[in-house]
Amino acid sequence: MTKLRAARYSRLALLLTSVLTGACSTDIIVDGDYPSALTRQLPHHVGLVLDDTFTHYTFESSEEQDVTMALGESQIELFNQIFGDIFQNSTTLSTINQTSSKKVDLVVVPHVEEVQLAMPFETQLNVFEVWLKYNLQVFDSEGEPIADWLMTAYGKTQSRLLTSEEEALNQATTEALRDAGVRLVVGFHKVPEIRDWLASQQTFGALPQGDGQ
Amino acid sequence: MKHSAITHTITFALMMLSLAACSTSTIIDEYRETSLDLELNGGEQVVIMGRRHAGEYETEPDFINCIGNRLANGGKVSVMPEQHFLDSFYPWFEPRVAPLKLKRMGMMLNDPLIAERINGLSIRYLIWVDGHTETTEKNGSVSCALTLGGGGCFGFATWDKTASYEATVWDLKKLDEKGRVKVSTEGSSYVLAVVAPIPFIAQVQGAACVGIGDRLKSFFTHVEPEP
Repeated sequence: MTKLRAARYSRLALLLTSVLTGACSTDIIVDGDYPSALTRQLPHHVGLVLDDTFTHYTFESSEEQDVTMALGESQIELFNQIFGDIFQNSTTLSTINQTSSKKVDLVVVPHVEEVQLAMPFETQLNVFEVWLKYNLQVFDSEGEPIADWLMTAYGKTQSRLLTSEEEALNQATTEALRDAGVRLVVGFHKVPEIRDWLASQQTFGALPQGDGQ
Repeated sequence: MKHSAITHTITFALMMLSLAACSTSTIIDEYRETSLDLELNGGEQVVIMGRRHAGEYETEPDFINCIGNRLANGGKVSVMPEQHFLDSFYPWFEPRVAPLKLKRMGMMLNDPLIAERINGLSIRYLIWVDGHTETTEKNGSVSCALTLGGGGCFGFATWDKTASYEATVWDLKKLDEKGRVKVSTEGSSYVLAVVAPIPFIAQVQGAACVGIGDRLKSFFTHVEPEP
């Protein structure tokens, strides 16, 4: 009888521990929709290399609160959409070695450099914020490096509008990815080395650019 | 008898509190280019957009929806949902690159790609709404406890909210500003907890939405807003 009771108590303790542990962690798979970009297409064939580190990228943090955020799927969706809109032809590849057989003009290899989060319990503000930092390595058809572009993006959301921490974080990250799309459409062809390469191909054309004012 | 008197006193106090609470005061300033109704031909649409470029706040999407519903009420004005517009013109109206002034909007309209889509969707007016609702003061507290014999809350808490917004109407056909509406609403909310918490919530943002939405509606349909 005592053994039975002890077993019950230990099960209850285990259940409470797992509930409490779960209550302090946030796990999300980022899920967002990214619209087609309204832009004039460049008449080139781009090879977009999305390797395993990019497609399976998961951000993990254990500072004060455990956060696990799987960004891979959403990143693939965004980059495929945007590069398909910027260039007349776009081919997605899983390794840079595949580029030689695809006869591409330009090769773009994005890497996630850094992800930062700011949550209400850290900032005491009623806002979730996400910063993304990418490094886009750009090569020509011969595999010669053209540019290394460090690109940052930012997204935030008001937590009071949303039902859960997971939903708020998902929306902030989706906003940050959407902002990354803005940077790609507006800024990719402005990177000096890429601009020079495009000029050498005599195909430069884009929407009027400005500072947004 | 004594018990009845106490009950009546509490009921009276609650009624007075509920009357005093939940009240909001709204101030509206308006500027128009012309006293005539704004021209809106059949099929032409209006878009209401929130400003989100500032770091410290962003105009709430639900507030923009509320104004849109208020403006479209009755079906006389066709209002395109904000998200639909943002997606149709992605990325040109995202916070990072959205035009803050008419001059920049004019530059964007010089591009056939954007101009054709504006014409294709028959978008005539773009209304920018800038502002937010914030809690300005908080006092008091409510504590709740749960025991084996039951539970309950006790205390009194109050907070003040201020909503401040400005709407600017751009005519995309003539590329000029047609007017502005500025609204400022204040209100106090209370929670009185004696066993169960009883909230008295002032609808500050709702009152601001009604104020700004009705004024904007009068730009198009010449219906004087309710006082």
